[in-house]
Amino acid sequence: MNYKPDEGMLMAYLYGELDAAETEKVQLYLQQHPEELKELQKLGDVRSAISHIQDKEVIAPPIFMGEANVRPLWQSNYFKTVMSIAASLLFLMIAGKFLGTEINYSGGELKISFGGKREPVKEMAQSSLTEEKVKEMIQSSLVSNNEVITSSWTEDQKRLSQSIRQNLDQNSKRIDALMKGASDTSQEQVRGFVASLQNENLKLMKDYFQLSTADQKKYTESLLVDFSQYLKEQRNQDMMLFQTRVSSIEKNTDQFKQETEQLLASIISTPVGKNKNSY
Amino acid sequence: MAETLLDIAMMHSDSLITRAREGDKNAQGKLVQLWYKRIYNFSYKFFFDHDLAMEVSQKTFISMHKNIAGLQEVGRFKSWIYTIAVNYCREEARKKKTNRALSLNELRPGEGEESYRWEESHHRRENPELQLRHTELSDILQNCLMELSVEQREVVIMKEYEGLKFREIAETLNISENTVKSRMYYGLEGLKKILENRKITKETIGYEL
Repeated sequence: MNYKPDEGMLMAYLYGELDAAETEKVQLYLQQHPEELKELQKLGDVRSAISHIQDKEVIAPPIFMGEANVRPLWQSNYFKTVMSIAASLLFLMIAGKFLGTEINYSGGELKISFGGKREPVKEMAQSSLTEEKVKEMIQSSLVSNNEVITSSWTEDQKRLSQSIRQNLDQNSKRIDALMKGASDTSQEQVRGFVASLQNENLKLMKDYFQLSTADQKKYTESLLVDFSQYLKEQRNQDMMLFQTRVSSIEKNTDQFKQETEQLLASIISTPVGKNKNSY
Repeated sequence: MAETLLDIAMMHSDSLITRAREGDKNAQGKLVQLWYKRIYNFSYKFFFDHDLAMEVSQKTFISMHKNIAGLQEVGRFKSWIYTIAVNYCREEARKKKTNRALSLNELRPGEGEESYRWEESHHRRENPELQLRHTELSDILQNCLMELSVEQREVVIMKEYEGLKFREIAETLNISENTVKSRMYYGLEGLKKILENRKITKETIGYEL
């Protein structure tokens, strides 16, 4: 068998990092070569010997990370210097703009001026103008101005009158339409109103008649009732009067009877002589 | 290497790395807490010197703070942070070569109870003498490790103590996987010879403990 594992293979075998097939191969080889196995065992002994080196116990010290080490670009000195120069230049430029600074170098002389540049050429031009020319210029300009103003004014007037007419027409049309509408609507409304009034009147009349007939009925009924009652009462009173009179007559007759009876009794009870004597 | 809670936490720190990459200072702080011990121990085994290990660890985590935003893949954080640590280790090693300064502790480590290592043993066990022996054996073996070349030493430390896979070591050192395995092989061969020279065998280690 020609197979002979190299040092790497033996190391992988020693540390158990070979797959099953390779492990088997190496094991077979070592069985067949005991001297190699012995050597490998010696290496294993070395491993077990050096495994006695102990781990040291240690506590992790706090590690502080200085934030200053990772300064951003805008905090670096170089950037600050450049920015300060740029800022001061910008400031000077703005100040120069506001003050109207001008620096001029010509003909071996340096001129620094503030407050804008004076133009001598214009002064020369002005001095060449005479008063008459100026007046003429002013007059001509005034005339042209007036023309322009009058033309624009007339145009404006025209436009205004046109627009006013248009507006008036539109408004009158609108008003007519409105009036028409209003008249149409008013006739219809009046008719409707009259019809409704008639209806209401009819209703009212009906109700009134109904109510009045009912009232009259009630009144006549009550009158008849009252009259009958009056008659009843009158008759009762008459009857009462009559009764009292009859009763008084009865009493009188009774009294008369009694008196007559008494007279008769006295006559009967008394002797005749006496009766003669007494008369 | 036994999986501690810290290791598990490191495995599941993907979301932490994502947040740290987005600039979350709190997440970055937690990453420091999680990884400080590993980076310190890697550097300590590289130099066998506490001060240099602290120096490298601090520089590594400061660099992490600054550059984590540029980390392309979250899954590559492990090899990325070891790359930073290895680079600082190499830088410090160059400086050390030129300075050739020795600390007082290196001059006279002392023996037994006189040794300053009494003070260094943070997690003392029930038997302080046993703890001292462990520490002394650790130092002897560490000295053996220091005899390896820088290339072999960094590979051996990453493989044996940091538990990186050969592929991860290759990524960290930006070399091929075969080169890593080869360096590992010759590193172990070298250590075997060093241990033989110092007469450190299985038996002596067993007796020592």
